[in-house]
Amino acid sequence: MILTVDLAIILLSAALFGFLARQTRQPTIVGYIIAGVIIGPAVLGMVEVGTLTETISELGLAFLLFLLGIKMRLEEVRHVLAPVVKISIPQMLLVALAGGAIALALGFGGLEALIIALAVMYSSTAVVIKMLNDKDEATSLHGKIDVGILLVQDIVVVILLAVLAAGRPESLAEVAVTLAVVLGLVALISAAALLASRYALPVLFRRIADNRDVFFLISISWAFLFVLVSSEINVLLAPLGIEAYLSIEMGAFLAGLAIAQLPYSKELQERVNPLTDLFVMVFFVTVALDLEARELLFYWQEALITVLVLMPVKFIIFFLLIRWQKFDIETTFLGSITMIQVSEFGIILGVAAFAGGFVGEEVLGYLTLIALVTMAVSVYFIAHNHALYTRLAPFLERWQTEGTFEGGKKEYRDHAVVIGYDQVTRTVLPLLAEQYDDVVVVDRRVDHIKILKEEGYDAIYGDFRNATIRKDAALKRASFVLSSSIEVDVNQAVLREVSSDAVVFVEARQVHEARGLYDQGAHCVILSTRLAGDRLSAYLKAYLEDPDVFREATTADRELLTDLRPIPVIHERMVGDLHG
Amino acid sequence: MADLLTTVSVLFIVAGPFLLVANRFKLPTVPLLIVAGLFSGIFVQEELTLELAQYGIALLVFWFGVKTELDSVRTVLKDSEVATLAQIVVVGSLGIGLGLVLGIPFQESIYLGIAAALSSTIVGAFLLQKEMQRNVVRGRLGESIHFVQDLIAVILLLVLGAGTFELDPIATQLGYGVLFLIGAAFVNRYIFDLLGRLAGGSSELMIVGAVSILVLFIGAARLTEVSIIVGAFAAGLAIRHDRERHLDLFNGIESIKDFFVAIFFLTIGALVTLPTPETLLLAAGLVVLTAVVKPAVTTVVLIYQGYEARSATLTSLGIDQVSEFSLIIAIQALLLGALGQTVFDAIILAAAMTMITSSLSQRFDERIYQVLADRNLIVGRHSKIDASSRVPEGMAGHVIVVGYGRQGRKLVRACRSLDQACVVVENDPEVRQIVREECEAFVFGDAMDRYTWEKAQAGSAKLILSTVPYDPISKRILELGVDADVVLNATEVDTALDLMEEGALYVVVSDLLAGEQLVTYTQAIISGEMTPEELRSQQMAALPPKNSS
Repeated sequence: MILTVDLAIILLSAALFGFLARQTRQPTIVGYIIAGVIIGPAVLGMVEVGTLTETISELGLAFLLFLLGIKMRLEEVRHVLAPVVKISIPQMLLVALAGGAIALALGFGGLEALIIALAVMYSSTAVVIKMLNDKDEATSLHGKIDVGILLVQDIVVVILLAVLAAGRPESLAEVAVTLAVVLGLVALISAAALLASRYALPVLFRRIADNRDVFFLISISWAFLFVLVSSEINVLLAPLGIEAYLSIEMGAFLAGLAIAQLPYSKELQERVNPLTDLFVMVFFVTVALDLEARELLFYWQEALITVLVLMPVKFIIFFLLIRWQKFDIETTFLGSITMIQVSEFGIILGVAAFAGGFVGEEVLGYLTLIALVTMAVSVYFIAHNHALYTRLAPFLERWQTEGTFEGGKKEYRDHAVVIGYDQVTRTVLPLLAEQYDDVVVVDRRVDHIKILKEEGYDAIYGDFRNATIRKDAALKRASFVLSSSIEVDVNQAVLREVSSDAVVFVEARQVHEARGLYDQGAHCVILSTRLAGDRLSAYLKAYLEDPDVFREATTADRELLTDLRPIPVIHERMVGDLHG
Repeated sequence: MADLLTTVSVLFIVAGPFLLVANRFKLPTVPLLIVAGLFSGIFVQEELTLELAQYGIALLVFWFGVKTELDSVRTVLKDSEVATLAQIVVVGSLGIGLGLVLGIPFQESIYLGIAAALSSTIVGAFLLQKEMQRNVVRGRLGESIHFVQDLIAVILLLVLGAGTFELDPIATQLGYGVLFLIGAAFVNRYIFDLLGRLAGGSSELMIVGAVSILVLFIGAARLTEVSIIVGAFAAGLAIRHDRERHLDLFNGIESIKDFFVAIFFLTIGALVTLPTPETLLLAAGLVVLTAVVKPAVTTVVLIYQGYEARSATLTSLGIDQVSEFSLIIAIQALLLGALGQTVFDAIILAAAMTMITSSLSQRFDERIYQVLADRNLIVGRHSKIDASSRVPEGMAGHVIVVGYGRQGRKLVRACRSLDQACVVVENDPEVRQIVREECEAFVFGDAMDRYTWEKAQAGSAKLILSTVPYDPISKRILELGVDADVVLNATEVDTALDLMEEGALYVVVSDLLAGEQLVTYTQAIISGEMTPEELRSQQMAALPPKNSS
């Protein structure tokens, strides 16, 4: 059995540099790229790109965009949609202008400057989303603005990649035609994806969502369907006499977008994420594998100057535009400081431009270097964003506008989280709803989610083992947590994450499990089989000694069983207390 | 787009409809993936996917290593369950015999034997989910039989990886195998935590680190010319840690595994050529061996070991399929040139077939058992029950308690405190000793079995109490047609109401009780009647002392 040595080297070196990057508080992406530089022809020349690595890095890109698509829940970003579009379009234009101007000033040619301009206008989805998630700020107002802008940028990237995939155009008219065909195709596939997400997918996914394996594999199958159609669109359209190309990234993104609108997308994110991380890692390593040191460092002085000028310019552009949309000064500052780096898409665009014959390898090296440096530097700014704001607040306040924009999606705080909807938790839900402003129920069954939503609870579909789901339910900020899961790992995850003053009720199967859960801070561990045992033995005693009491108690129970009201009247003689 | 990516796309797209079929009919996904592979074979260049499929194999074995509980290895080895090895030997020999009779050379027939003898953990786990959750005898038993078989498969891979049956290379292989295990223990003990610290809470890096360990072990395996399967298994053992403490890591690895393993099963289907009559004959023989002979042999072995007939039969019906490890062994042999296309095809086809038939036999297992039992095909039951039970003659007005778990014990204690005679009905060999020590009267038999009830003298009993929330047993008790009052257990309210309708005096629904308790405590906390800390100490104090279970 043969496993490729190249891939092994790529994985191991990426791991090594990933860990090094982590230790020096750099984004892992930077580590991966450096790993690629070192094992590639630029330094050691140990590895060449083979079929397998190429495929995996292509898969990485496809999965990255698929994942991004899955995250794009229209309902969640809708309320910032208008300001985000108003910010992002001029932002890209202005940054592109600035980037192009810098490039021209540094002596690049017109076409090169154009490609550079197009490549530097995006901020890094990978860096920003990762940092925001790590800091738990992705759902804060500035986080949402940034995510929204990134999504708009991503759509633009996808379209640009498609144009570039068509190769070097002969004339401007040809560019226009390509653009039109691409936009037409994108519109067509988007329409197909959204129609599917409206009519076909809900039915399909409702059937399979309860089956973990099938759910995951069908989603991947769905993604590959779009990938294949996009990549083979030329073959498909050839009989019609149309020549057109689409990127596989585009297909993957739209496939994800269609799933994103379903209630199951969170769960899928969690499943696709690790695959994406792994494949994208290979992608980032291979980026530099084609670059000789000469190419990477050919324009190192220019790159350095660009970095020094571009980052402040980006910040100012974002700052002015976000403020223009009447966000408060803190949101504006935080939203801007996050976005000052050049995106990995800049490199991808560079690769596409190089493949399409638009620019030389040196320009790709220059873009790679800029992205690398800006990403690394920006991480520090994001990490210390609040401290920076506090320091700069007195100075910034003169730009204070009247913050009129209110964050839309509610943030849970001091709420109740219920894990699992069943006979145990059902009874207690109304009681919790009375007491807490928000009751969030997490369940793995689609029909339960439906019932819960109908009854007016906030319901999240997914497995509580997943960090995303726990974050969505804001477990850390909950003040009451009830878990009817008998899985010890789920309950331990709960107990580890909840705040110290939260009340936690969990269920367990065995006494020793219960003991462990109490030791970890549970306030009440319900052992239902034990309750049943207590009740049965109390009834047995009654049956043997005092049949009237038994008859009375069982009649009361029988009524309770037929009573489907959410909180049935509690049995007067609680568990085992039949004789006082 | 690379050809490989096109191939993978096609494989997954073709798999889609088949997965829907699996979901619709509640079948395991593995056989459907193989069948999807059969169909996509036309579009696929298999050399391309074979490489990705090998990652699937590596990850599958890696995952098996990750999930291996060393404690369970110990208990399984200690248990008499190791006698299920007898089943492997018998069925394996029959498989080899089948090959020889049909004119397959001995070297290749061995693979037929392996295919017939080993059963699939993935399919078994899928089919036995509920039983395992409830911790009933056959769930536990099926799980450990699968586990023993998987371990044997890994050893076989180690031995067959030598590509020869000469003793010398095999010994070398085994020696390296031991070295790998030592390496795994070292990494598990010292490196893993270091990795965790260096990753600084990043699950991405933890996953990358775990994959790197896998790569390193596989690399070492290649250098020492040991099967990479062994490297992957050792790597899995090296990573093995509390799942709950490293949830993100193991969830992540599971996703990666699922992706590549799907490619593996699809590819293996695609590798099958258009079957010849000889292939079909061999496959049919294997199917009969796996789906009929293997469960029969296993039932006999289990009954001989002291399990009662029903548990033995139902357990055996849970292992009537070809193992995914047999597929790995077959593909390895095919690549090494030790196995011809005909035998390979037969094994794959038989695997897909039996994995599907297995879910059918699982679905109708009770009925199959009843049919066999009614025709007296499963014999020796009464004497077994007689021998292992203790019931005084002429009991009357007694209470029969079904199941001697926590509930059962409490009930027996309650009876004793009131001087009420009671008979315990239990069938789990694990608690047999305890029952014998703690109960005056007991029947060691299956509650589904009429003779058990005769033995317990149900006709003259006053009350039958079941602690088992299993509907067929509840129904069975109600159908006994005796005068005794019947109190049952159920998991669902609807079932409970049905059972009462059908004559049960009372049905306990433990979830309902839990719900009641929950409402009471929640109210107490919300109204401030009790602080959370008070509740906590009160609850902890109510737990039974540590040394009693």
